[in-house]
Amino acid sequence: MDAVDSVVDPLRDFAKDSVRLVKRCHKPDRKEFTKVAARTAIGFVVMGFVGFFVKLIFIPINNIIVGSG
Amino acid sequence: MAGGFRVLHLVRPFLAFLPEVQSADRKIPFREKVIYTVISLFIFLVCSQLPLYGIHSTTGADPFYWMRVILASNRGTVMELGITPIVTSGMVMQLLVGSKIIEVDNSVREDRALLNGAQKLLGILIAIGEAVAYVLSGMYGSVSQLGTGNAILIILQLFFAGIIVICLDELLQKGYGLGSGISLFIATNICENIIWKAFSPTTINSGRGAEFEGAVIALFHLLITRTDKVRALREAFYRQNLPNVTNLLATVLVFLIVIYFQGFRVVLPVRSKNARGQQGSYPIKLFYTSNMPIILHSALITNLYFISQLLYRKYSGNFLVNLLGKWKESEYSGHSVPVGGLAYYVTAPSSLADVLANPVHALFYVVFMLSACALFSKTWIEVSGSSAKDVAKQLKEQQMVMPGHRESNLQRELNRYIPTAAAFGGVCIGALTVLADFMGAIGSGTGILLAVTIIYQYFETFEKERATELGFFGF
Repeated sequence: MDAVDSVVDPLRDFAKDSVRLVKRCHKPDRKEFTKVAARTAIGFVVMGFVGFFVKLIFIPINNIIVGSG
Repeated sequence: MAGGFRVLHLVRPFLAFLPEVQSADRKIPFREKVIYTVISLFIFLVCSQLPLYGIHSTTGADPFYWMRVILASNRGTVMELGITPIVTSGMVMQLLVGSKIIEVDNSVREDRALLNGAQKLLGILIAIGEAVAYVLSGMYGSVSQLGTGNAILIILQLFFAGIIVICLDELLQKGYGLGSGISLFIATNICENIIWKAFSPTTINSGRGAEFEGAVIALFHLLITRTDKVRALREAFYRQNLPNVTNLLATVLVFLIVIYFQGFRVVLPVRSKNARGQQGSYPIKLFYTSNMPIILHSALITNLYFISQLLYRKYSGNFLVNLLGKWKESEYSGHSVPVGGLAYYVTAPSSLADVLANPVHALFYVVFMLSACALFSKTWIEVSGSSAKDVAKQLKEQQMVMPGHRESNLQRELNRYIPTAAAFGGVCIGALTVLADFMGAIGSGTGILLAVTIIYQYFETFEKERATELGFFGF
């Protein structure tokens, strides 16, 4: 059982520490969450569409390049 | 070693030859920084679409398929190497310095310059090495087919692309832009991938005739063209082998979950010793090491895949090679998928059906993912100088104390939170990745996590920059 204990004890300690950490954590409220989600979503979409349109534009360009190559 | 030979000095002769971006000699206005950042991004995106000249074919098995989004690389283009050279050299240097193999005194300007030079030099060498490895391994057709001239041409193209990425990143780091080039390129690549899978106008022929690749486009197309609306709807939501609406919804869900957990933090009050009573706070986030565990995990998996596929192609009958991984060409997308061995067990099951078919695989994958992320996270704080001891030292240098605690207790107090935040944060990151992969989120759980954490950091940077610009006093 010593072998099992040497594995279980650290895990139990870790779990206890983790629970304490989460309880101690400041958690975002609805307003904060909504604000961050909206801004991150905007950033996500802007970045995504910038890449999307560059790719879209390059499809015909690449066809020309590779076609003549 | 004191006053004697130092490893870092080996770099000195090379400094003159390395391309370098001058440090900004003046305060760059916020708007100008945005412009530099956008220009860098466009250069990167264009390079990601330019085809390589001289390649014979790209139809061979792609060992890096799984990691391309995360490494910001694109098959068959000038940006084939993506950010791999710069990320790899950064990690290697970090490990060498953190483990004291390389001695650096950060208070000495020359040491910092030499360290930067060493990292850049290593990045260039890695770019050359990888370019050569790509060509010799037959990624673009065998060398005999290419001819020596074309082979050298390809290597040069990849090499110069590597230089461009290194210089763009340095440009942003030196104060001309916002954040780091690496983060910007990764995040954009992931976002582009997800948007493309949602709105792609390209068509792919499947058993049911031509279908749009984009999930949203396909949804509308099916609803418009099919007489049986219910069946059309079901197909749009659950079709196989192409992005579907369920994948899209899973992506959104993971996105929201990550943002929520980003907000978790322990706020420790700190006070300045000199400026009388000036109060502040030092937040310790649940995601203390941010996305670093995922990056390290991805790097590990990528190397495992590469080695395994290389060996399997040549020695597929060998027992040990099969133990490492067995590979099979996928019927649909033309890339190899692991079907046995260690490589298979560390790969995410592709669907819930897969999970039920082989629960041992799913269980092994989950345990491996969580353990690896926790270990990487815990290790990273030591080598990256963000452990409790390092933070305590920084706060002391800034003349900060924690109210109610003696100065000598600062490190002990930090020690109660930082190691746990690192390890548990790593576990949470791993769990989110697993969750995303099981639900079939577009771009992979790893990718979404990376993109969200990077964009989050960008907004934090924006806030700080704008506050400074407008004259507000930040902490």
